[in-house]
Amino acid sequence: MKFSKTLILFSILLSFSANALLEVNIIKSKEDAFPLVITPFEMIGNFEEDVDLAKIIRDNLNRSGHFDANSTDKLINGAIDFDFYQQHKKDAIVFGKIRQVTNNVNHAEIYVYDVLTQKALYQKKIAFTNGALRKIAHALSDRIYFVLLGQKGAFNTRLSYVTVSESKKGSRTYRLQISDSDGYNPKTVVKSAYPILSPSWSFDQNKLAYVSFKNNRSEVFVIHPFLKIKPIKLPKFDGIASSPSWHPDGESIALTISKKGNKDIYLYNLKTKELKRLTKNISIDTEANFSPDGKSIAFTSNRTGQVQIYIKNLETDKIKRATFKGTYNAKPVFSPDGKELALIHRVGKDYRLALLNIATRDLTILTQNKSDESPYFSPNGGMIIFATNRDNKGILSIISLHNNQIVELTQKDGVVREPSWSNYSN
Amino acid sequence: MSKKILLITSVIFLSSCATTNIQELGDKFLDLINPSDAPAEVADLSEQVLVLDGESGGFTEEELEILSNDELIELAKEKGLEDILIVDADGNLQNRDEVIKALAESEALKESATQQLETLSDDALVEIAEAKGIDSITISEELENLSNDELIQIAKEKGMEDILDLDADGNLLNRDAVIKALTDSLIILDEDGNLQNRDELVEALVEGAAETKSAVAELEKVGGSFVLYFAYDDTEIDEAATRVIIEHANFMQNNPSVRLRLEGHADERGTREYNLALGENRALSVKEVLGLYNLEDRVVVVSYGEERPVAIEHNEEAWEKNRRVEFVYY
Repeated sequence: MKFSKTLILFSILLSFSANALLEVNIIKSKEDAFPLVITPFEMIGNFEEDVDLAKIIRDNLNRSGHFDANSTDKLINGAIDFDFYQQHKKDAIVFGKIRQVTNNVNHAEIYVYDVLTQKALYQKKIAFTNGALRKIAHALSDRIYFVLLGQKGAFNTRLSYVTVSESKKGSRTYRLQISDSDGYNPKTVVKSAYPILSPSWSFDQNKLAYVSFKNNRSEVFVIHPFLKIKPIKLPKFDGIASSPSWHPDGESIALTISKKGNKDIYLYNLKTKELKRLTKNISIDTEANFSPDGKSIAFTSNRTGQVQIYIKNLETDKIKRATFKGTYNAKPVFSPDGKELALIHRVGKDYRLALLNIATRDLTILTQNKSDESPYFSPNGGMIIFATNRDNKGILSIISLHNNQIVELTQKDGVVREPSWSNYSN
Repeated sequence: MSKKILLITSVIFLSSCATTNIQELGDKFLDLINPSDAPAEVADLSEQVLVLDGESGGFTEEELEILSNDELIELAKEKGLEDILIVDADGNLQNRDEVIKALAESEALKESATQQLETLSDDALVEIAEAKGIDSITISEELENLSNDELIQIAKEKGMEDILDLDADGNLLNRDAVIKALTDSLIILDEDGNLQNRDELVEALVEGAAETKSAVAELEKVGGSFVLYFAYDDTEIDEAATRVIIEHANFMQNNPSVRLRLEGHADERGTREYNLALGENRALSVKEVLGLYNLEDRVVVVSYGEERPVAIEHNEEAWEKNRRVEFVYY
């Protein structure tokens, strides 16, 4: 009996570590970062999960590029030695405790103090059920971020991405996965022998649209990753169907459909099943993305012979060219404030992530990479996640728009690509 | 932006809770968080990794060797290989070895055609069956649960009256045979569009698929090319490519039952979705030339964009190999 108990414990630990499939590396800069200390959390009670909350919060804050969060051995016993932290040039100190209240209810307490004024900036008690320790750590990270920066954090959110692994015989397996915003808790929601691409979260976070080749042609599918209900079936179109992008209302998707070989952007309403044409041009129109207010779409088109980005105002039906620098600009995505577009810009032979100010047309190239792809903003607009290559291997990269700090998410075996960042948890 | 200013505004904003001594927090700070939106394990999407079964269901050469000449003649006739039989005046088989080889080859061809069809999803299988002119019916219940009159009606609608054995009063005498005949020769879908008779459909398509394979093998033997290459971000068909397409047009005219799938591909440079569109345009420009021979109805176009490279390196040489259109017959 005792033996089997040990075995169970061992396998729990094992599966937990096997869960952390995405490895996280911060590879640049602590420039202009807010120095703070987050002390280890006091844990009162028995917790099955082996989770270091303070570390998760530190890692979260550091990944954002805004913070230089450190730990300390100095535990808080009733009073805080503010002088000590002032000497060490820390601007804020965070500490907290987790207390088991009943079998399934726990309380998290969090305190944020300003070292200079020695005043509490924030304190909060949050109740949560078992199994939510990591989620609590992300929720607390969001609050600290807001208290210290006055902006929303984007930690209690999810990523989706596609992994590709190859067997010894050379056959590929594609997986559509979702994970927490820090790459933990990866779960496979679709597994296929056929390519999967372009996953996209609905704004309410409950649905994922993606492209699958399981029927030997590119088709758009919509699934509910959190519910065991049937995927939504879109009507069958003649040519390719691809590049799904959710309207903020969550009821319709813009997608590229090839009718009689002509690739244009259409709007498909999942409720009324109506299909409405949004662009009409004999050239390629694809990679549509809705502005946050749903009033316009940005898209890629080669209508002038070059691959460039255009914005269509859906209220006036007017189409304006958005990119003027370079001969290849593609895959636009709106920033959450609607003022900028992240896109892929060709420089010489390289394809790099760039940021376009829509009003001023200023284009800023953000990386020195060779083949960036698939940009996606964090829901607070502070970071962009994108796919790129490192040592001939597909990885995900997150860039902080605060100080260009780069965080890499890699997978030991196989490649990872096509990231998408969910909206805030409800 | 100065973090000091931010700090101070935060201090003002949150001054109501300011204190330097740590004390237990009351319930006025209480929020509730549940882990209830944890993802379902794996959504069942009827999409899975398919593993091919290497075992052959047909005759191998060894198995054919132990058959008598008469049995071989019988088998060859059954498999539609009557033409290759050489028999003397007394009906004795003269070319036993040749017949065994031909039978084994035909079995191998069918086996590989079956395997290929088995890897297809239901939707892809239905698409091929429809292209091959197989009729489909949508029924709310299984055929077994339909009344005789309903079965008679379906058979008549689908032009299959001759399978019906009716008595003088019009009653169906061969219900089981009719159900089998309908299952073997139609695409049967339920009201959600799900395929009901996958195994029978594969069976119905195997022969045609094997014939296509053998015709394609002939074209391969005479050095036919099945891939065309393109320049960067380009869909143009040059003279050499036109000659290849004309060869295929001739092939299709000589083999009226074959159908062509043009698979367009792009290299890895640029964005995936744009490349998907580009791949389709490449395949479409090949189809356009075939259209000059009035073959467009037998051609479908698909694009894999940059998802199916033949060369996985990241250099000009690999990119050249990946910017292509492949001719796939079925």
